[in-house]
Amino acid sequence: MNEKEEIIEKLRSGVVNCNEEGVMEAVHEVIKKGFDPNEAIERGISEGMRVMGNRFDKMEIFLPELMIAADIVKAGLNILLPEIQKEKRPMKGRVVIGTIKGDIHSIGKDIVAAMLQAYGFEVYDLGLDVQVSKFYEQARKVEADIIAISALMSSTIGGQKDAIDFLEAMGARARFIVMVGGGAASPEWAERIGADGYAKTAAEASKHALELLEGRRGG
Amino acid sequence: MLWNYLKEEEADNKMVSFSEIMKRAVTGKPCLARDYELKVFVPKLREIVKNYDIEYDPATIIPSDNSLADDVFKAAFDFFLETGAYCMDTERIIKFDEDEIREGLKNAPSKALLGEGKDARTLTPRKPEDKKSPWCFLGAGGVPVSSEEIFSSLVKGYASIPEANSITTPALTSAGGLRIRPRSPIEMMGAIRNAVLAREAMRQVGRPGLPIMNTLATAESAVALTMALQPKYGLRATDGYLVAVMDPFKVDFDRLNKAYAVLSLGAPLGIAISPLLGGYSGGPEGTAVANAAYHLLATIASKATWHLPFPLHIKYVCNTTPELLWLISVSGQAISRNTHLLSLNLNYTAAGPCTEMCLYEIAASVMTSVVSGLSIEALGVSGGRYEDNMTPMEPRFSAQMAHAAVGVKREDADSLVKKLAKRYVDRMANPPKGKKYQECYDINKIEPSREYVGIYNAVKKELEDLGIEFKPESI
Repeated sequence: MNEKEEIIEKLRSGVVNCNEEGVMEAVHEVIKKGFDPNEAIERGISEGMRVMGNRFDKMEIFLPELMIAADIVKAGLNILLPEIQKEKRPMKGRVVIGTIKGDIHSIGKDIVAAMLQAYGFEVYDLGLDVQVSKFYEQARKVEADIIAISALMSSTIGGQKDAIDFLEAMGARARFIVMVGGGAASPEWAERIGADGYAKTAAEASKHALELLEGRRGG
Repeated sequence: MLWNYLKEEEADNKMVSFSEIMKRAVTGKPCLARDYELKVFVPKLREIVKNYDIEYDPATIIPSDNSLADDVFKAAFDFFLETGAYCMDTERIIKFDEDEIREGLKNAPSKALLGEGKDARTLTPRKPEDKKSPWCFLGAGGVPVSSEEIFSSLVKGYASIPEANSITTPALTSAGGLRIRPRSPIEMMGAIRNAVLAREAMRQVGRPGLPIMNTLATAESAVALTMALQPKYGLRATDGYLVAVMDPFKVDFDRLNKAYAVLSLGAPLGIAISPLLGGYSGGPEGTAVANAAYHLLATIASKATWHLPFPLHIKYVCNTTPELLWLISVSGQAISRNTHLLSLNLNYTAAGPCTEMCLYEIAASVMTSVVSGLSIEALGVSGGRYEDNMTPMEPRFSAQMAHAAVGVKREDADSLVKKLAKRYVDRMANPPKGKKYQECYDINKIEPSREYVGIYNAVKKELEDLGIEFKPESI
């Protein structure tokens, strides 16, 4: 194995083994030695996160490992991405995600955010209890492809419709793919409020996000 | 008045007061939420599970080993002592010492008077294999409905179930023609309609004294709940009030406000706790310890009168997989053997109404809970995900199973539940959604369709052939 391959393997296995120190060392080596950061992300960091996503989906690992891996990936990308011109980045697309205003449940949203990373998306997590305008502002700022809105409670799910209505009112609805999810959401609800996508699980959400994005780009 | 916590400092200095909890919430050790989750909760839980050598055995669903249950309790005690609770608003850890936890458990309510008139009953604790009937808290589990008409019809159906000790209403999703928004006047209107409609529906079927025990499903925010507490809307101090604690071990001001409002009314406060299998608590062993430890947190930090554990599968959003049933049994036995806390397991099925799978899941869940020393809340159907996807049939069947499970030995129940789980476990990933209330019931007459009656009778006959002895139905 040559030096570059060793570093890529160090990135991949570092994410899989939740070894933050190892990943960060490898990230700095990529830059120092002038290796292609795109390749380091795609074959190293993102591949490691894909492994973790698959393991979580099969329940071979649990939420803590997924969250730790997602944090490591985020830390690595924060250093590597600025090294690459925006249009040349290997990411599948950009997603702005959050739990809607009035709802402080975060676990489901956190899992979807991590799984989207595993599927190669650049994820901007707004956290919980998020105002509808914040989704719009952040999506515009980072030129997002997808806005993903979570709601667990039947009393808070109305906010998903408010967010879509807000985008309509701002004349920006067609600009973003809007996905909804969470314990209170359903395919019928997504259709009723005019969302583009819904998924029951995090893995399904990630696959669906890819399909929607490909559909839009293909169209 | 059962327990006036607000006067506890004068009456009994042994309990940590609400004001002391608030003091610790603002002076406790500062900690970021992510650090509490991943650097405090997760490693400590794993260490304690390992120290007590707690292991899930896939060959058993309902263990008869008392020492396992006692170890889970000890592990839960140590875990809560080490981790405390996390206050989301102040980003600080609220800790309790060993004496405070012990005294809190010793002085926790051992009974709760619920309901009025001929429907007044006292909720008391149970033990594994107890011959005492479980409390049957029946209805919708707070699952949403699309209209007031469906809401009222369902509550009438629930209140007509003879075994019902208390009612869990659905949640309204709109009020005044508008979709409910949290912390808004529409939510207040919805909360009031929830109380008024439920009380009226129960009056119409001749059971006005039945307690609503999930007061109030439509009030997510403290302001909506406190608004609906005005006596003119029909709520009473003998209803049960339900407030959630967030996973993992997180309290927040809005929910503490609700708890404080309920306790100031002198009413029984239920704390809903929902650790996730596959979540921060990890596998079945960690989730069993967390589920038991949540009871301690709810007693000490949230002042619970009664407890509503509903651990859920992180992917399937139900609690009827064999692993979930095991951890419900083990944590239920841990709590019922070692405390006098009032605990009711809330069942969430994967399948929907008018399906055999849903009834098998109910049978397995209720049998597991009742022989493990718990009472029951029935139930959230099809993961509580779909509007109107519930009928009075599922809680009615739950109550019949609950009474049939009384006095059954854990060993016999284990054999039976394993046979039941085999009938549905392969379908957990893609369960049948079933039918909406209006699709499998006459909602005016509140009568099930011929198809549903056929499914119900066939499953019941199958269970009788497996050895379950149902009590005669009284309608």
